Amino acid sequence: MGLSPKTSEKIAFSLLILATLTVTGFVLIILAYIILNGYGAISIEFLTQMPNRMMTAGGIYPAIVGTIALITGSMLVALPVGIMAAIYLNEYAGESRTTWLIEMAINNLAGTPSVVFGLFGLALFVKYFGFGPSILSASLTLALLILPVIIRATEEALLTVPNEYRESSLALGVSKWQTIRYAVLPAAIPGVVTGSVLSIGRVAGETAPILFTGAVYFLPRMPDSIYSQFMALPYHLFVLSTAGTNVSETRPIQYGTALVLLIIVLGLNLVAVLIRRHYRNKLKI
Amino acid sequence: MTESVQNVSQPQIEVENLNLWYGEKQALKNISMQIPKNSVTALIGPSGCGKSTFIRCLNRMNDLIKNCRIEGKVSIEGRDIYGQDVDVVELRKEVGMVFQKPNPFPMSIYDNVAYGPRIHGASKKDLDGIVEQALRSAAIWEETSDRLKSPALSLSGGQQQRLCIARTLAVKPRTILFDEPTSALDPISTSRIEDLIMNLKKDYTIVIVTHNMQQAARISDYTGFFLMGELIEFGQTRQIFHNPQEKSTEDYITGRFG
Repeated sequence: MGLSPKTSEKIAFSLLILATLTVTGFVLIILAYIILNGYGAISIEFLTQMPNRMMTAGGIYPAIVGTIALITGSMLVALPVGIMAAIYLNEYAGESRTTWLIEMAINNLAGTPSVVFGLFGLALFVKYFGFGPSILSASLTLALLILPVIIRATEEALLTVPNEYRESSLALGVSKWQTIRYAVLPAAIPGVVTGSVLSIGRVAGETAPILFTGAVYFLPRMPDSIYSQFMALPYHLFVLSTAGTNVSETRPIQYGTALVLLIIVLGLNLVAVLIRRHYRNKLKI
Repeated sequence: MTESVQNVSQPQIEVENLNLWYGEKQALKNISMQIPKNSVTALIGPSGCGKSTFIRCLNRMNDLIKNCRIEGKVSIEGRDIYGQDVDVVELRKEVGMVFQKPNPFPMSIYDNVAYGPRIHGASKKDLDGIVEQALRSAAIWEETSDRLKSPALSLSGGQQQRLCIARTLAVKPRTILFDEPTSALDPISTSRIEDLIMNLKKDYTIVIVTHNMQQAARISDYTGFFLMGELIEFGQTRQIFHNPQEKSTEDYITGRFG
């Protein structure tokens, strides 16, 4: 070829670094934009009060509570089920046509548009099981949505655990389940946590699945049980941006809402990083 | 089969006509062997001869391999370990195994040794004693007693392997299988482990797979020579090395192939 190794090295390096800078640049611009615009709206009242005057004033407290309820509810369901399914698939199932089919189904589930999950949740949880439009229905729908993410992440994490751990544990007269429980899972936890956090971000941000299953435009009072309807940050943001007529008054609230959502997700990410680091330090040198 | 072995009254391990297949391929052919109690038995032979496959039959680690089929009889302390009523998990408590690569768990030194006994239900107050005893028996107590809480992975390779031996001893097996335990170690670590193995035979029956003929000659009482899935010759180590009965044994130990 015409290019010397030195020149092609330089070109490749420049392109790679350009791509990296572009990505980080955009992330920083978005972050800065939201922080600068939303910063002014944040106050104790904004975080702790109900919206009022047709959402042109007041706070976003119910939406914060709703989003946190959804995160908690969907994690409570999806984490244990997802981790157990991944353990079964990776440690017990072996390779067979059935396993292959299940893996395919999980992959397809991961690629299914979230609005389809919304419709499914409406049909199954809201109607068939009769949970109505509620925190429960929406949490279960979101749990289904993130199940493939958690299963995948857990399977990946289990795959990185060296087989020698399993063999040497079994050779000590430790049963298969005990081996998984005491030798394999502790080594896989950092990976599982990473996967769960990715899905927390999705739960906090998804709008389509909760639209059909219980999110409302406005609540006159706080939800009092898992069967209540709820407000959530992403949907609130959507409503503020599309339904309001008094744009100049709702705009700061929009940015404030976006910033709060961002802080919740970043905060949870931070917690995950800390958990991961804690386990890494405990496991490694 | 040599007379000297058959004279031993109660063999710890008795193998009769053992055959093993991986799918269609036969990896072990009609192996019979009697391994005496409180001795070191070395299994030698070129790569792929079946010696590792054979040793993994003795604690049923081959059960984990798909398409692996076994025929014949293996008795340990008089009990058929492939019998219907055998609990494999219990069997592996009695027949410990140390692997080729030092493979401590990513936990502290203490937790590595306590791993087995803790799961098997040892009480918290007994645990300290069990751990110390195991580390002493594995000749690594002096180096680790002041840093039991440090990660096992911070030890050197040779120390890690002795820790793995301690981890195995802590479960109190009566037989210990070593699958090329020093092939990843330097000569000094190797010689420490060899001394350790020779000490352990007072209390344990030891079977060791090694690719190193000098090692077999140095530490074992009995030697079995494997070739292409067959046990060519088995007998007292002195005899195998000084007066082999089979031509191929002689060729191997004199370095003509391998």
